[in-house]
Amino acid sequence: MEAAKKILQDDNHNLFSKDNMFTKEFPSDFRRIRYFTLMIVQKAPPEIKEINLLEQQISEVIKNAVKHGNKSDPEKTIKVWYTFSTEEARIIVEDKGEGFQNIDEWNAFNVNRQDCLSKEDYIKLAEYVSYRTEKSDDNDGGNALFAAVEYWNQGVVFSSKGNTVALGKRFPRKRPSIELDEA
Amino acid sequence: MELKIRKSSDIYIIDVNGEMDLYNSYKLKELVMKMLEKKIQKFIINLENVDYIDSSGIGALIYICSTIKKLSLKLLITNVRGSVKKVIELTKLMGYFPISGSVIEAVKQLTD
Repeated sequence: MEAAKKILQDDNHNLFSKDNMFTKEFPSDFRRIRYFTLMIVQKAPPEIKEINLLEQQISEVIKNAVKHGNKSDPEKTIKVWYTFSTEEARIIVEDKGEGFQNIDEWNAFNVNRQDCLSKEDYIKLAEYVSYRTEKSDDNDGGNALFAAVEYWNQGVVFSSKGNTVALGKRFPRKRPSIELDEA
Repeated sequence: MELKIRKSSDIYIIDVNGEMDLYNSYKLKELVMKMLEKKIQKFIINLENVDYIDSSGIGALIYICSTIKKLSLKLLITNVRGSVKKVIELTKLMGYFPISGSVIEAVKQLTD
């Protein structure tokens, strides 16, 4: 049975190293989340964009910081550090909010979710299909972090305060199956 | 995002065009809720022309799917492909959603 992947909380995790990363600061403008995301993703080589999967995953992290972290308060900014290569994508997003306080609860929820998926119990899965708190609204999908822990295979790590998240993904090195002669 | 409705006997096909993102996914949810008020019982949501979906889009599909399941009505989602498929696979919900290959196949499945 596949074990559920976890969100970590560790200020000393190597994904928090900001050496040689680009940085940008944005206002918490909900209407411009996808625009901010594009400004970051344009630095990524096309090999790792996977159509728009990288963009989609980064936009979720920025959305969480703007909406759930800073509560879309235009006075509060988010700060993003990022670096991309053909083998790796890394991003750190810091907001000025109270921090994600439900990490243990989320991990426990995801264990139950994974249990339903492993047993293909789609009736019980209905209870675990989206993670919601009393602060969730109708437009919150409640599923972004489930995808994040799958996509970011080097980890999804929060700071102890919970207002900074670092994510990393390594991409498999693609070897061509046939050697092409360079003309 | 643009939503268009087609009909094949008592089956209503919603063609979703464009991007299902945090700014517009609620529109699909609202449309289906209105159709449910009009006692429509068989739905196809065709994602053939969707080239971007995020967690709000997935959330809208989850909401629609669980509402229709609770009411014991019929829903099939068609043409799940490309990056839409990849995002659904990341959430591991390919088995949860009622998925059919094409609109033609889905119409056959929903025809008594």
